[in-house]
Amino acid sequence: MHRSRLVVAVVATAALSLLAVACGGDSESGGGSGSGSGGTELTGSIFATGSSTVEPITALAGESFNGENPGVDITVEGPGTGDGFKKFCAGEADIANASRKIKDEEAGLCQAAGVEYVELAIASDALTVVTNVDNTAVTCLKLEDLYGLVGPESDNVAKWSDASQFGATTQLPDAELKIFAPGQESGTYDSFVELALSKITEERVGEDPPKETRTYGGLADDNEIVRGIQSSPTSFGWVGFAFAEQAEVREIEVDGGEGCVAPSAETVADGSYPLSRTLYIYVNKAKAAASPALQAFVTYYLDNDEQFVSDAGYVPLPTEQLEASKATWAAVVSGGAPAETTTTAAG
Amino acid sequence: MSTVLTPPDEAIDAEVARAVETGRTLDARGLAFQGALLLALLAALAVLVWLLYSVVDGAIPVFQDRSVGDFLSGKLSGSPSRFGVSQGIRGSIGILVFVGIIAFPLGVAAAVYLEEYATDNLFSRTVNVLVRNLAGVPAVVYGLLGLFVFKGLLGDLTGGSSLMSAGLTMAILVLPVVVITAAEAIRAVPQPLREAGYGLGATQWEVIRTQVLPYAAPGILTGTVLSFARALGEAAPLLIIGTATGLLTSSGGSVLDQLQGNYTALPMLVYVATKRPAEEWLSLASASALVLLVVLLVANSAAILARNHFEKRRS
Repeated sequence: MHRSRLVVAVVATAALSLLAVACGGDSESGGGSGSGSGGTELTGSIFATGSSTVEPITALAGESFNGENPGVDITVEGPGTGDGFKKFCAGEADIANASRKIKDEEAGLCQAAGVEYVELAIASDALTVVTNVDNTAVTCLKLEDLYGLVGPESDNVAKWSDASQFGATTQLPDAELKIFAPGQESGTYDSFVELALSKITEERVGEDPPKETRTYGGLADDNEIVRGIQSSPTSFGWVGFAFAEQAEVREIEVDGGEGCVAPSAETVADGSYPLSRTLYIYVNKAKAAASPALQAFVTYYLDNDEQFVSDAGYVPLPTEQLEASKATWAAVVSGGAPAETTTTAAG
Repeated sequence: MSTVLTPPDEAIDAEVARAVETGRTLDARGLAFQGALLLALLAALAVLVWLLYSVVDGAIPVFQDRSVGDFLSGKLSGSPSRFGVSQGIRGSIGILVFVGIIAFPLGVAAAVYLEEYATDNLFSRTVNVLVRNLAGVPAVVYGLLGLFVFKGLLGDLTGGSSLMSAGLTMAILVLPVVVITAAEAIRAVPQPLREAGYGLGATQWEVIRTQVLPYAAPGILTGTVLSFARALGEAAPLLIIGTATGLLTSSGGSVLDQLQGNYTALPMLVYVATKRPAEEWLSLASASALVLLVVLLVANSAAILARNHFEKRRS
């Protein structure tokens, strides 16, 4: 009695798993037949990943492109510049959005996987140094002051005025310094280190500093930074231009050696604002060569770039840089100049 | 809950009995205890009301400029004035369907086996301990499982970062909860019910089908409600598997293409909107959270209705 029941149970289990396998097989063959499609209209799929800062611009471009080419499936996600490059270099994505240039080790990943790419500058952004609206004592900071406040030597700087110990030359208030700034995983952190700190760090500490900035509790996204800045009257931090413009914070002018400059579309465009950075998209060349839809999308993106960028609240690229991107892309599409196309003439 | 087989005891008036025994009529400590309990209840309620208020209050600006229907039918977008939740609702419901089709039958079947067929030996005890521990494993860990197994190993079948990967991961995430609650419901079925069945000549399968499962159905459905709620609200596994957050356009295709295609889900929309600049996006986050709550409420009420239906049939 007991044994026969066991036999039945085993048979039933086997039958169930057979059924499961059969279903699996079915669905796979279904996938094969479903993917074939023809027609003169553009079809295919485009997958863009990378920076959450650039995400809205690419999303706007995709939305607009999809309106004219409904046969193209476009997916845009924004896990961050670093994560984006990982996926991009593994060949999972067609486009990587980036709020900074690709790093050497990331480029190495791409090379190891045989992924060739082209870098296209698409927008400008100003790293905006911000403080609380009530903090009227500070209106302009030199790069030396920024270094004194958050540079790698400044771990013990507890008050704004202490920054003078590490090279700050502006008379800063004798008030508590509360830092609300991006964490190290953020492209906004990397850009700030590069634009504001790295040169002075090299002069003061040497080529290989033990760390890039002082230690502080890094925040995950710009909205958190904005809330932190608003919460304390003597706060200090930096965010992307779009975040600073749309929040109630006080923007501090930055002096890169040629006088105080406030961040704005004009000062970013003419290059006078010292902390302006370029936003990029990276396109997988092999995928572009194989996909007319991807080619058409990137061309469309660059042709209407200024509109998407300003709709997303960012600063359009200076005309000559955008033209350089277009020229680089045109060369890729026509299959020319493969050696030159991995870099562009971006400021 | 009282069962059909044991009649309720005669009610005893506690106050009269105590007065007779101790000669005191006022139970001060008892009243204080009761008051403390009431305070605890009110505190819990206040937090809930405050949460609901802040979500609704945050969402109001969205509905001042656009209609509810416009927001519900809108899609992922780079522009706050076009952003909407239709794709999130679709993705979340898709995930629930996976949970319903996979976790529910598998979980109930496993529970029936554990409670009705398995003898008390090292194997069944080990399985019980494992299932209980799995139910407490954080969602991120299941996200890793989804990343390695469904997106990695079975990537050709699931399509990578797809609705199928997310649905399968969520189904596995909630499976232990379903097993535990179903097993507890089955354990609560009175033994005489089974014995009566056997006495009438029914086989074990017949007893389970006609007596045990119908009796345990309300309890099993409670477990389903809990698991649906969890699958609907979890964002961590989706973050790891990856979802569309900026834009998602689809030209359709077969059901399988769509299952293997990119997707997004309601909790991810909330997360995405909180990371974008400007107050507009923060209100969109609140509005998406509100939609998530409503979908959750609808799913839960459906399960509660089903439970009541089975409870009525039982009595």
